[in-house]
Amino acid sequence: MKLRLCLCLATISVVLAGAAPLPPARRPHYGGTLRVEIGATLQSLDPAGVATSREEADAKAELDALLYDQRGEDGTFVGTAGSGPFRLSSWEAGKRATFAANQDYREGRPFVDSIEIQLGRPAHDRVVDLELNKTDFATIPPEQARQATDRGVRVSVSQPNELLALVFLGSRSGKESTRIREAIARCIDRAAIVNFILQKEGEPAGGLLPHWSSGTTFLFPTEMDVRTAKEIWSQISPSPYLVLGYDSTDTLEQSVAERIVVNAKEAGISSVSRALPASGKASPGQVDGSTRGAAIRVDARLVRLRMPSPLPRISLTVFINRLEPIAGIVDSPVPQSASPEDVYYCERSIMNSGLVVPIVWMPQVYGLSARVRDWKQPAAGEGWPLADVWLDSTDPQ
Amino acid sequence: MRLLPRLFLRRAFIFSLLLALAAASSEGQAAAQFPPDWTNALGLLADKIAAVTKRGEGLSVEVKNISSLSAADVDGLRQLLVTDLSRRNRRVLTESSADAALQVTFSESADGYVWIAQILGGDKENVVMVSVAAPNHRASTKEAPLTLHRKLIWEQDAKILDFGILGEGTAGGSSTLIVLDTDKLSFYRSEDKGWKLARAVDLPHGRAAQRDVRGRLDLQAGKAELPGAECTGDFQHPETVTCSSITTTADPETPRQPIAIQGRSVQDYAVLAGTCGDDSLTLASGTGDWTEPDFIQAYGGRNPSAASQPIQVPGPVLELRRNDGGKSARVVSRNLKTGVYEASIVSVSCDD
Repeated sequence: MKLRLCLCLATISVVLAGAAPLPPARRPHYGGTLRVEIGATLQSLDPAGVATSREEADAKAELDALLYDQRGEDGTFVGTAGSGPFRLSSWEAGKRATFAANQDYREGRPFVDSIEIQLGRPAHDRVVDLELNKTDFATIPPEQARQATDRGVRVSVSQPNELLALVFLGSRSGKESTRIREAIARCIDRAAIVNFILQKEGEPAGGLLPHWSSGTTFLFPTEMDVRTAKEIWSQISPSPYLVLGYDSTDTLEQSVAERIVVNAKEAGISSVSRALPASGKASPGQVDGSTRGAAIRVDARLVRLRMPSPLPRISLTVFINRLEPIAGIVDSPVPQSASPEDVYYCERSIMNSGLVVPIVWMPQVYGLSARVRDWKQPAAGEGWPLADVWLDSTDPQ
Repeated sequence: MRLLPRLFLRRAFIFSLLLALAAASSEGQAAAQFPPDWTNALGLLADKIAAVTKRGEGLSVEVKNISSLSAADVDGLRQLLVTDLSRRNRRVLTESSADAALQVTFSESADGYVWIAQILGGDKENVVMVSVAAPNHRASTKEAPLTLHRKLIWEQDAKILDFGILGEGTAGGSSTLIVLDTDKLSFYRSEDKGWKLARAVDLPHGRAAQRDVRGRLDLQAGKAELPGAECTGDFQHPETVTCSSITTTADPETPRQPIAIQGRSVQDYAVLAGTCGDDSLTLASGTGDWTEPDFIQAYGGRNPSAASQPIQVPGPVLELRRNDGGKSARVVSRNLKTGVYEASIVSVSCDD
């Protein structure tokens, strides 16, 4: 009644937005330059060019997604550069690139006029630039996400969609090798890796697919079991000395490898971690089997596998294809019509082989400036949706 | 004396019959509350459990829910599963007297629900599972002094630019729903509490695609406008409507002055006529991005203050326009869960 009276007395009027500063409008508008920083020092955007590290391969795939409209069956981009939402307008190898909005893009021109990309910015500098509002968009390593948030950076975290796993090279076989693999798998303290190395930005992994995708991860244990690991190891005679490899350019892999060595020692397992040359041909989800038979002896190496799709069947198929050259996994392909049960049993069979030891699931983390609007986390397998974002004010403050 | 056993038998029979009826009724109620694909999936799960257990085997059943299913749904599903297992000659017992333990987990994947049964006992562990599509959830409204109601009229995959209903409420006559999207202007006739397509007029091709294209319907004038195209005709008679290219590519939306509501600038709003003996009300949506769920709220007063509780919309409100007569507003939104565009009418009711 009180409210009614109030409404009766008052004549509603439209109050024009006046001098007082008001929060921004929400309807998208066109214009402005999006400033992007990435860590990779890309030398070329040539589709035939080979990236020299995983970071480069990842960055190239993201930039290709801005330039090309279509992908081929193998996931690589096809067609003409510039058929995508943006066109390359300037390129300085390893340093910077400028993309201009494609006015004729099939789905309508992007909201921003252009994207300025600074290449080769280290992770720490990217976070500082976000903090100082010197950039609008940058990737942040998951292990630095918490720190960035604490420093006031606007952070966007995806569902965990990248698996870090220890993959045993397929050269060893026999019962002894199965025991070695089982002992290692049981001694790893995944929770500690998530809590301390990843700063809680991730999940312990027991299977090849994350829970949000398959719904079956609880069927794959992740708990550390040092006692059983010790018991298994004591049955192996003579005890081998294990060499665990990691990508020399990847600080996260190095920390995880060193942590596994510490865990292994607690279980009485002798091992050492060793840096390996960067796996140049790797692209998202790919691993390089070049260490097999190389001069550096390695028993197992850490690999990152990024999901190409949210759908469990598709991701598992791609993972199997990419692990096969390293681990020698022989498994029948997951059929098109595979049920969740088929996918589970396929995953179970790989886990039972012990050739792949899942460690952690990690998210993709992005830092954004306050003026970036309509940013939506890309789903697994999707590129950065930079054509959809718009800038609240076209001039950076 | 001879009558006593007979009487006892008769009573026992009636009691058993009543028990059986009660059980059947409660089972029927449990089954009735679920969509058919859920009950079918549960039956399939029972088949799979039966295939890996022995006839007459006693099972203890433990249920875990790690999905978005409600506790009530899980209880009902458990009850149905137990019945399904009994029909397949599997006895459900307490843990201490069971031959094997059945652990059922209601989980969820990127595809939908996954219902998993682990049969623990003996040498090896058996795992069987079924998948079920997850239903879409609709937003609910809250009670308020002035209450807003959102009625979903239409939903489709293609982006809805505007919509309207002609002939609504007219005695005897059927209504026509007109939907303007990025590709066509469609006319639907009301039929059996639904809408049936009467005619769709394609918009001319070759228009430059726009990421934030807007369009507008003027039902009285029989006109639909969007950048690069225009449709005209008598909307009561869809067969008279034609669409053609026009040279202007300007946004047909009349630029509107933003208004200030509770310290924020609002560009999209609809001013409704006084519904409850009051002066007009302004409906406005939230301030979030188009990546977030949204709300619509009514504001009144010279310095507009909230006059209703917000009603939740499961995605961004893309268009909010006053309907002819000013008694309600038409809303176009995008449901973020399903990805479809929704056309709905928001009206105001008064609490006495």
